[in-house]
Amino acid sequence: MNLDLTWRLLKGGGRRGMLGTWLTLGAVAVSTALLLFAVTANFAFEARGERGAWRNPVAAAQGQQAVAMAGSRLDYVRDREIVIVDLAALGPSTSVPSVPPVPSLPPGLPRFPAPGEAFFSPALAELAEELPAGQLAARFPAMTGVLGDEALVHPEELVAVVGHRPDAPVMTAPRGADAAPVRVSGLAGEPSMDSQGYRVLALIGSILMVVPLLVFGGAAARLTVARRDQRLAALRLIGATPGQVVGMTVAEAVIVAFAGVLAGTVAYALALPLLTRIRMGGGPWFAADLWPDLPVLGATIVAVPLLVGLSAVAGLRRVVVSPLGVAKRETPPAMRFLRVLVLLAVLAVFPLLSRESGIAIVAVAIGLAFLSVNLVGPWVVGIIGRITARGARGPARLLAGRRLVDDPRSAWRTVSGVAMTGFVAGFLALLSPGAFAGDAVPGQLRVVVAEGSPSAVADRARDLLGKAGVRATVKHSEDVVAVTVADRDDPAALDRGRTVLTGLVPGRTLTTGADDDRMGTQLLADVGVGTVVVLSVSFLVAIASAGITAASSILDRRQTYGLLRLAGTPLTVLDRARRTETLVPLTVMGGGSIVVGAFCATPFLFGAPNANGLVMLLVCVALGFGGVLGAGALSRPLLRSVTTDPAPRPD
Amino acid sequence: MNDVLAGLALTKRFGQTVALGGVDITVRAAEAVAIMGPSGSGKSTLLHCLAGIMKPDGGEVHLLGQRIDAMGERERSALRRTRFGFVFQFGQLLPELPAEENVALPLMLGGVARAQAVRQAREWFGPLGLHGMETRRPGELSGGQAQRVAIARALVTKPAVVFADEPTGALDQTTGHDTMRLLVEATRHNGASLIVVTHDPNVAGWCDRTVEVRDGRLLAGGVPA
Repeated sequence: MNLDLTWRLLKGGGRRGMLGTWLTLGAVAVSTALLLFAVTANFAFEARGERGAWRNPVAAAQGQQAVAMAGSRLDYVRDREIVIVDLAALGPSTSVPSVPPVPSLPPGLPRFPAPGEAFFSPALAELAEELPAGQLAARFPAMTGVLGDEALVHPEELVAVVGHRPDAPVMTAPRGADAAPVRVSGLAGEPSMDSQGYRVLALIGSILMVVPLLVFGGAAARLTVARRDQRLAALRLIGATPGQVVGMTVAEAVIVAFAGVLAGTVAYALALPLLTRIRMGGGPWFAADLWPDLPVLGATIVAVPLLVGLSAVAGLRRVVVSPLGVAKRETPPAMRFLRVLVLLAVLAVFPLLSRESGIAIVAVAIGLAFLSVNLVGPWVVGIIGRITARGARGPARLLAGRRLVDDPRSAWRTVSGVAMTGFVAGFLALLSPGAFAGDAVPGQLRVVVAEGSPSAVADRARDLLGKAGVRATVKHSEDVVAVTVADRDDPAALDRGRTVLTGLVPGRTLTTGADDDRMGTQLLADVGVGTVVVLSVSFLVAIASAGITAASSILDRRQTYGLLRLAGTPLTVLDRARRTETLVPLTVMGGGSIVVGAFCATPFLFGAPNANGLVMLLVCVALGFGGVLGAGALSRPLLRSVTTDPAPRPD
Repeated sequence: MNDVLAGLALTKRFGQTVALGGVDITVRAAEAVAIMGPSGSGKSTLLHCLAGIMKPDGGEVHLLGQRIDAMGERERSALRRTRFGFVFQFGQLLPELPAEENVALPLMLGGVARAQAVRQAREWFGPLGLHGMETRRPGELSGGQAQRVAIARALVTKPAVVFADEPTGALDQTTGHDTMRLLVEATRHNGASLIVVTHDPNVAGWCDRTVEVRDGRLLAGGVPA
């Protein structure tokens, strides 16, 4: 019976009721789509790490039988990275490795490459065909086959798997400590340190996105709480039990939220092609990486409506406790200072953390700090309201201040998104390290000569370059040979030089200074992209939240606004009051959240904070203010429309 | 003549429905006029046209000789703020503001400094039997007390005309009786005219004159005898 009545009330809510329902549905849909993105991003990084694990060989433990030798190194073409995996099978007799004894191949590698064979990733195969052989293809044996997607971290990755004999110089010559080929018992490998690092960053990003999303979802559930408040208070007055009221609230919220979750999932699916284009870790994404697994999808579809239902119930506590509470609009009980103590207690933990702290501890601490800011928000808004009302001289500030005191939670809902984004921006501003100051010479390739004479290597380089007709200057020092191509600005000349000199020093590639800094610059670029993504999501949520709450606030107060207009209050005064009601807490809470966010980021600082971080912060502040004011301004026509109805009527 | 407010040949249609079909009405200074009629008769529309809330389709409205129906929305808003006061059945008090600030608000909207506006507002609490209620919020007042605060708010700007739409509609008989007495006495004491829309003859009985509206037309009493 309850469900039937709920459905009838939901359908028969009139234009205003339906608008509220649609707003809730839309908000839940946006939340769901972004939540799926935030959660799936973690799994996507994990999947990348696992797919790339086979290029990070692990030496066979003592007592294990080594079946192959494997090593990875990096080469470069046209400013792109090529991962070269050198493999050599270890047969019973290493001189005849024609029957590779390797039992399991990594997914995506069709077969173990025999000496002189090479498998290319599709992107490398394409590029090798596109560029003249002297610039790329000649570095490798002729292509034997193509690697499958399962072997690749991302679709545009350039990977070459090259087969060698175990006694080939490339397999035995000393390399850098990290890249030396090792004897392995299998090709499973383990996720690289880089991929682990990305997973930590992704987790932090997700927490920074998920918390505002949950707050937004909660706000969405309570969007129409005033409407439900009055209706359900009326039901309580005529004898509905608290259980019935709660049941109807949950049912209504869950029905709407479920529809919102489905809409959000469809929206996410539609947005997937765009999301796969976000370049991280050197390239875009496979669609499968960003599509949630069934358990994740199932959990989202169940959890979101449940959370929305719980949030709606929380919003109705006053109705359940006292049916007259809402009908008579008594002063809500003041919030306790305990909220501030909670935040201070959580913040006190941060100086104890460091980059070496466990991921789970860091994640929980950031999440708790984030939630504490959200907990303190309404309390601070109430205080701000008192100060604003006390100091008000004109009607707009007085109205704004009194409203903030009257319903600080509602005011907080309007600005919480941007305040939370302030936290994110403050956090990330400190985490944006300065740029790498490389001392690279343009057009110069260098290689370390660990064995033999650098002078002889330099002579051989001159010889090879001369035969290939590549004009270059070759110099050498104690252990480094440096080759500077004549046409420094021509990437083709540089790649010709790289190709001609392939194998000059076995197991080592010639690199430019930019190549050597690539990992750092890549990480910087990815932190930048990640920051933009997290902030974009936060802003989208914040501005949508501000817009929706501004609109619902007008709908909830339409009678008050109508009567004020009727008594001759200019629309500008009402608008100014609304703006003040948003701007004052926005300024205080936005600023406060930035400081708290920056404080929380301090233990994880790497590199010195740079001007870019500050610029990003300022852009965020400007966008936040502009966005919230813009979202508020968008609801001005709604204010005009509800106040042009001259007949004040009860709801 | 000391006519304060006059509506001449007022007409208003909502789609096919004729809300006012050529109404003439005049209200004198300090006069209390009741507009009576059944639901849908057009009495609220008449009040809205006279108060400058709504523009009539035809006819004219004059306040102290000045035509107000031809004014723009901004001017009519200013007029409502300064020359008119309003008392409604319910919901006219802002729930966020304490009683004294609700009363002071029209003065503040007119540019009076807050401290002075609140001081002036407090002066109304004693005579209206609201002593001690100054800092209470509307939710903490009884229905009768809330209506008295609304009366204070309607009169605080010393308006020429007070409009009351079913001012006792949400009150019990005794409270309604007291509220009407206070409303009529206070407006008269301030030299303001009072126009009350009601369907209750007991409420109309407090007024000097009753105007009957049926189907958008006046049956009687449009002009003082």
